[in-house]
Amino acid sequence: MNKFTALYQKAKSVCISILKKILSFFVWILTPILILVAALYQKVKPVCVRILKKILSFFLWILAPVLILTSAFITNGIIIFLFGYNPIEAYAAAIGITFGSVSAVSETLVRSTPFLMTGLSVAIAFRCGMWNIGAEGQFLMGVLAATWFGTKIAILFPNTSWIAVPLCLSFAILAGGIWGIIPAILKVTRGVNEVISTIMLNYIAIHFVSLMIDGGPLQETSKTGPQSDPIAEWVFLPRLFESHRIHLGTGLAVILAIVLTYVLFRTTFGYQLRAVGEGAAAAEAAGISISHNTLRVFFISGALAGLGGAIEIMALVPHRLTENFSPDYGYTAIAVALLAKLHPLMTVATALLFGALAKGSFAMEAEVGISRQVTLMMQAIILLFVIGASAVKFFRKRTL
Amino acid sequence: METENILELQKLTKAFGDLIAVDNVDFELQAGEIHAILGENGAGKSTLMNLIYGLHQPSGGNIRIFGKSKVFKSPRDAIASGIGMVHQHFMLIENLTVAENIALTVAQFSSKDGNTDSIESGTESPPEENGIPSKLSTFRYKKSDAIRLTEALSNRFGLAVDPSVLVRTLSVGLKQRVEILKALAVDARILILDEPTAVLSPQEVTGFFKILRALQADNRSIIFISHKMKEVLEISDRITVLRHGKKVYHGKTGELSAPGLAREMLGEELSEVERKENKATTDLVLNVSGLTVPGSRNENAVLDVSIQAYRGEIVGIAGVDGNGQRELAEAIMGLRPITSGAVEILGRQPSGTKNIRKCGVGYIPEDRRTMGIITSFSIADNLMLNITHFEHLAKRGVISQKAKNRASTQLINTYDIRPSSANIPASALSGGNQQKIVLAREISPQPELLIAVNPTRGLDVNAAQYVHQNLFAQRDRKKSVLLISTELDEVLQMSDRLYVMSRGRLIEATAHRDNIEALGLLMTGETDE
Repeated sequence: MNKFTALYQKAKSVCISILKKILSFFVWILTPILILVAALYQKVKPVCVRILKKILSFFLWILAPVLILTSAFITNGIIIFLFGYNPIEAYAAAIGITFGSVSAVSETLVRSTPFLMTGLSVAIAFRCGMWNIGAEGQFLMGVLAATWFGTKIAILFPNTSWIAVPLCLSFAILAGGIWGIIPAILKVTRGVNEVISTIMLNYIAIHFVSLMIDGGPLQETSKTGPQSDPIAEWVFLPRLFESHRIHLGTGLAVILAIVLTYVLFRTTFGYQLRAVGEGAAAAEAAGISISHNTLRVFFISGALAGLGGAIEIMALVPHRLTENFSPDYGYTAIAVALLAKLHPLMTVATALLFGALAKGSFAMEAEVGISRQVTLMMQAIILLFVIGASAVKFFRKRTL
Repeated sequence: METENILELQKLTKAFGDLIAVDNVDFELQAGEIHAILGENGAGKSTLMNLIYGLHQPSGGNIRIFGKSKVFKSPRDAIASGIGMVHQHFMLIENLTVAENIALTVAQFSSKDGNTDSIESGTESPPEENGIPSKLSTFRYKKSDAIRLTEALSNRFGLAVDPSVLVRTLSVGLKQRVEILKALAVDARILILDEPTAVLSPQEVTGFFKILRALQADNRSIIFISHKMKEVLEISDRITVLRHGKKVYHGKTGELSAPGLAREMLGEELSEVERKENKATTDLVLNVSGLTVPGSRNENAVLDVSIQAYRGEIVGIAGVDGNGQRELAEAIMGLRPITSGAVEILGRQPSGTKNIRKCGVGYIPEDRRTMGIITSFSIADNLMLNITHFEHLAKRGVISQKAKNRASTQLINTYDIRPSSANIPASALSGGNQQKIVLAREISPQPELLIAVNPTRGLDVNAAQYVHQNLFAQRDRKKSVLLISTELDEVLQMSDRLYVMSRGRLIEATAHRDNIEALGLLMTGETDE
C-alpha cells in the first residue's frame, strides 16, 4: 500500500513539475511575443487577419467534406445497428483492413488507383463544363486496347518491357482518347448533348467488350469462358516494392494528378479550359475557341480513363480481361471528382476514400458478416450524401 | 370620364446602392385612362413599374391604390390588389394550353381567402356570368371548366384565342393576348404593359390598339410603356416623361408634339466638351459592307449595314436598345453568324474571334456579366481574359505568374479597381468595378480597333470621364474606335461621325448632330414620314 502511495506521490510531483515547466514556458516565451504583438498591433494586424482568414477559409474548405462524411458514417452506423450488428466493431474491422498495416495501406492504394484515374478524367472534363459521363466506356476501351496489345501484338516484341509497356499504355491512351473524342465531335458539329452521347457510348463499349471476349477474337485460346488470355508477362506493370502489390500505375496516377493541377492553374491551356467551363460566352468573346477546347478536353479525359483501364489489367492478377471488369469505376468517378470539387489534387484524397470504402465494406462482409447488399447500400448512402451536398453547392453558385 | 384616381404614387423613390433609379416620382392613374410613360433606356421606366408590381420595394414614398396606402412584398400582393403586368418577355408556360395557363393563374389567386376581398375593395366583385365559373378548384383541375372560363373571358373582351391550343404554337401577338387574358382572369383593374408593341408587326399593332380601347371602355386603366412616339400619341390619354429617374413632363396627349416630347425625353442641355478637331485619315481600319445578321428570333437583327471606320476617328452609333446594335458588334467580332455581307479589318477578312482579336481588335461587350467577365474568376484572371493577353503572358504555354501579377497590379492601380486585391473573385465587385476590369483589359493594349458597346454603363461620372479620355487617347494615337451606345449624350460628345441605328438599319446622322429633335425621331424610327 505504501508503495502505491509513494508512487502516487512521485507521479504527482512529476506532473506538477511538468505543469510548472509548461506554465513557465508560456510565461517566458509567450508573454514577450504577446507584448510584441500588442506593441506592433497596427502593423501586425493585417498579417494576422490574413493568416486567420487563410486558416478559416482552409478550414471551411475542408469542413464541408468532413461534415458530409461524418453524417454519412453516422447514418450508416444506424443502419448497421438496425441490421443487428455492432457499428463500432464493423468500423473497426473496416479501418483495420484499410489502414491497419503497411500491406493494408498498399492494398488500399491499389484499389484506389482506378478511382483516381477515372476521377481525374471526370474532373478535367467537368472543369471545362463538359459533362462527360463516359469514363466507364473510355476506361473499358483502354482495357480492350491493352488486352489486344498484350495478347496479340506483344509477341512481336518478346521480353522487351521497356518497349512493350509504354507502347501498350499509349495504345490504351489512344483508344480511350478516341472513344472520348466521339461525343466531342458530335457536340461540336451537330450539337448533340454530351451527357446522352457518352452514356450511349458506355453501353456500346460494355457490350463491345463482351462481344470481343465471348466468342470474339480476344477470347482465351481454350474458348472455355468469356474472358481473354492473360497478357504477355513482359507487358506487366512492375511493382514499386517487391513484397507489396502497390505498382507503378499508382505512382503514375498520383504524378498525373500533380501534372494536371499544374496544367489547369498555370498554363494557357488550363486557363482556357477553366474559362470555357466557368463562362463560355465570356471565353468566346475573349477569342477562346469553344469547339477546339471541347475536342481537346474530351480527348484528354478519355485518354486518362483509358490509361486507368490499361493500368488495371497490366498491374493486377489475373492480367486478363473478364466480363464485369469494371465495377462501375467510370460512374463512381463522378462522385470522386465532385467530392474533390473538381480539383485534381483533392481527387487523390477522394479516390483514396473510395478505395478504402470498397476495401472496408469487403472487410465488414468478411469479418463482421454484414451482407454484401448492406455494404453496397452503405456505399450508396455515402455517395448520396456527397452528391446531394455538391448539388446544393452548384445551386448556390448559380443563384449568386 | 370620372377623375377618380385609381392609383397614386407619392414621392416614390428607389435607390440601388448609390444609383437612384427612381427619384421622387409623383404619378396618378385615373380609372379608364391609358397613361403612357415615355423615356430613354435607363430613365427608370421599368424600375417604376417593378415598384408598382411589387418586384422591388420602394426606398421612399407611397403607393396608394383606391385611396389606400399599400405595401407590396411581392407581385402576389400586387396581383391580389388588382394590378396585372404584361412583361416584355412573356411569362407563359409554353408547353401548356392557353386554358391551362389561365387556369394556373386563376387557381392560385381564387383559392387564397383574403385575396378576393382586396380585389373587391373599390370595385364590384367579378360577376358570376350565367353559370361560368369565375373560380376554379385548386385541387382538381377540370379541363372543361378551364376552357369555359377562358372562352368566357375572350368573348367578354373580344380577345379571340383558341383555349385548347398549346401556347408554344401561338404567334407572338396571340401570346400577348394570352398574357392580357391572364391578367384579366384575376380581374386586374390596372394593366401595366411594358413595351407591348415592340414584338408586334404593324398590322398586329392596329388590332392590339382595338383591344386596349375595349379594355378602356370597360373602365380599366392601362399604363403603356413605350419609346415609340407615334404609338404613344395615337393611343394614350395622358403622357408622363421620365428622364434619369425623374418625372420631367406630365400632360395631356396632344399638348406637346412629337419633337417636343423627344426633347423632353433626351434632355435639352447637352454638356459642351471641347472636341479636338477631327484628325481622321483616309486609312481604313474597319470596313463593313452589306452586313445582314440574323437575330435570335429568326428575324434580321441587322439589315444591310455598311459602315467604315478610319484611323484617328471615333465612329458613334446611337439608338434605342434592341435595335440591332448588339448583334452588329457581335457579328463584327465573329461571335454571330452572318447571312450576307463582309467584315474587313485592316484589309484582311479574319475568320473566328481569335483571329479577329489577333488583328488588334478590342471589344467591350454590352453584356458585362456574361460576356465581359467570368464572375467566378479572380480579378487577375479576368484581367487577362483576352487571347492576345494571356498568350503574351505565357512562355511555351506556361503562364508566368510574375508577369501576370505585375500586369494585374498595374491595371488595378491605373483603373482604380476596388477592392484592389488581385485574387478575390470578380463576383465580389460592384458592377462599375467589373466594368473597369473589362475596360482595363480592352483599352490598355491600345487596339487598332476598339468596339465599345455602352462602355460607361454603370460607371460614376469620374470613371465615365476616364473612359472618355481613354477613347479620345485611342483616337489621338491614330487608332479607330467604334462606339455603340444608348446614351445619346455620350455618342454626341465622343464621335467624329455619327450614325443612328433603328430596327436593324444604320442611318448616317452626322449632319443632324446639333438637331436633337431630328435625332430623336430617327432613333424612334420615325424616318418614313
